[in-house]
Amino acid sequence: MRLKDQLAFVRQNVKKNKVRTFMTILATAMGCTFLIVLASIGYGLQQTIVEDTLEQQIVTKIDIHGYEKEDGRFRSLTMDDIDYLESIDGVKAVTRRNHLQQIPTFSTGDYIEEAEAVIAHFPSEIKSGLKLKEGRLPKNANEIVIGYHFPKHLHPDSIKEQDLYSKDGELKENYQYKEELIGKSIKMTVKRLDGEKEVTHIIPLKVVGILEKPTKEWMQDRNVYISQEVLEEIVGFTGTPNGNPRQEEGMEEANKAADTFDEVKVYTTNLEAVKGISDQLDDANYASYSVVKEMEQINMLFTIAKAGLILVGTIAILIASIGIYNTMTMAVTERAPDIGIMKAIGANPRTIKRIFLLESSYIGVIGAVVGVIVAYAVSFLVNFGLPIIIEAAFTEQLPDNLKFSAIPGTLIVISVSICLAVTILSGMRPAKRATQIDVLKAMRREI
Amino acid sequence: MINVKQLSHSFTLGKKDPKTTLPVLKDISFNVKRGEIVSVIGKSGSGKSTLLNLISGFSQPTEGEIWIDGQQVTNFTEAEFADFRLSHLGFIFQSFQLIPSMTAYQNIELPLVSKGVNEYDRKQITIELLKKTGLINYQGHYPSELSGGQQQRVSIARALVLNPPIILADEPTGSLDSETEADLLQFIKQLNKERGITFLIITHDDAVAAIGNRTIAIKDGRLLEVGDAQ
Ligand SMILES: Nc1ncnc2c1ncn2[C@@H]1O[C@H](COP(=O)(O)OP(=O)(O)O)[C@@H](O)[C@H]1O
Ligand SMILES: [Mg+2]
Repeated sequence: MRLKDQLAFVRQNVKKNKVRTFMTILATAMGCTFLIVLASIGYGLQQTIVEDTLEQQIVTKIDIHGYEKEDGRFRSLTMDDIDYLESIDGVKAVTRRNHLQQIPTFSTGDYIEEAEAVIAHFPSEIKSGLKLKEGRLPKNANEIVIGYHFPKHLHPDSIKEQDLYSKDGELKENYQYKEELIGKSIKMTVKRLDGEKEVTHIIPLKVVGILEKPTKEWMQDRNVYISQEVLEEIVGFTGTPNGNPRQEEGMEEANKAADTFDEVKVYTTNLEAVKGISDQLDDANYASYSVVKEMEQINMLFTIAKAGLILVGTIAILIASIGIYNTMTMAVTERAPDIGIMKAIGANPRTIKRIFLLESSYIGVIGAVVGVIVAYAVSFLVNFGLPIIIEAAFTEQLPDNLKFSAIPGTLIVISVSICLAVTILSGMRPAKRATQIDVLKAMRREI
Repeated sequence: MINVKQLSHSFTLGKKDPKTTLPVLKDISFNVKRGEIVSVIGKSGSGKSTLLNLISGFSQPTEGEIWIDGQQVTNFTEAEFADFRLSHLGFIFQSFQLIPSMTAYQNIELPLVSKGVNEYDRKQITIELLKKTGLINYQGHYPSELSGGQQQRVSIARALVLNPPIILADEPTGSLDSETEADLLQFIKQLNKERGITFLIITHDDAVAAIGNRTIAIKDGRLLEVGDAQ
């Protein structure tokens, strides 16, 4: 029998039992929608979290926290480590910074600001993508570069802290520093604690450059980038590593600038290189962190969660399949006399089976298509409506890019496959029964 | 053309053990030659329909062989028998066995659909047979909208549609009045003459048996006599 004629038989039967077929398709579509929407929440939250994480970090960056020694303890990185890191293929730059272990005060004229002092290696910073907004890099020991946000917090010394800022967190207009900072001298005041007594030391510096605004909107760079020589001068004054103002136990001998780095970051040439280099660093006993590595763990968790959601959703389709089984069994029983006659006059049992399988597949296909369309609609409504409801009910601001539900192509493929597989399987037994109908009994109208 | 060899058949009654078996056909052997009209007569319950159902492949004999057109059909699988029926056998039943949800046209066309004949040829053949059986004005009617005689003509048209060499008929006139019966017998004779179709007709009616070349009588499941028609 031609496929076209088989389909005609299917159409005829569907027409004859419109309500029953409609109900079965409805149940299948609902099962399919349920599966997709349920799993889409896994996909949506994953997308939100992944996008969020990627947005807040530089993806080609690998933070190196230390080197794990054989005894399992960590040590800070030294110049030797930096040399090794720079030798790795695909590494664009290795930046290393030290932070002064106290917050010094910087002042110029009547204006003053407390800010962190950082000792950075500029050639590698520049290679990693750091840019100057204006001015130049330092050449002499007393020249400094300041972060983009440093000038925005420089304020008159005479005003009390609580009066400085307006409601939106910015310095009030009339307290802002309006002059050009480049070329200005700045006095850096560091302190040392001799028992209860505070001793201060002033180092004159000169601003030669201002860094560009950090790429991420929410980041603030108020650092003052000082030279190694200035650090050594401070260490000479405090007698502690990295200028800690207080002498702590076990520090006596370390009265010079440490030759290790607090903050080492590896920048790779591209995103694809991160994974390989990360693995290589793990093998070489470096404790490292990268977004890509974290992504892997997040993705792993979500994969498990999504699998679980799909499993639960499949139960809905299994329930719908009971309906299909029932519908097909009824269809076979109702048409048993016709099937008997068709068999008697030469219809092949295989053809009869195929007609019924086509019918259950028809229910499955239409159910899946309707299910997918409705799932998209529900997903849209959820993404659109749920934040409004939540914000109204809990008066809480939700993140802008929050997505409750996302339906990627893979989810559609998985769901439709499950739906079709289940419907075809549930149509299998009724179809087989149709082929087993006894011609004589059917012609005597005994079934 | 049809060769029945030592055919025996018994029905198993009930589903419980011990099963009782009911022997219906006992050691039946006969031949039907190409182009013959052979009628099988016998009292009700003698096993005539059972014999025809075995030849048709609607059930499997307990013992013996049936050969049709040189092939041993008793060895066929269900699917093989289905294809064999399409190519070799036409059927006429006492109760017509038309599909109630299909029109006269669709019922006649059905074997052509089963065989996978294209739509154009299907239409040619079906229309021709509708004309031949005088049903051309009734092609859109459902079986319930046709008289017994018209229904039987639909079923004959359906039996002829694939041009089979053999037609098996179980009490074809059983549901018809004597006038329609005479028409039908005339038609059978004509088909036998014009197309050389072999007929095996079951009947308990002497008028039907009279058109046959030969008569086979069955009594209590045994072949009684094989006689030439007078
Ligand atoms: N499916 C069946 N199961 C059990 N007994 C049957 C079955 N079909 C027919 N019989 C019995 O077989 C015998 C012959 O029946 P059948 O061939 O229909 O007779 P006929 O057609 O000559 O009237 C009868 O006694 C009938 O009761
Ligand atoms: Mg009978």
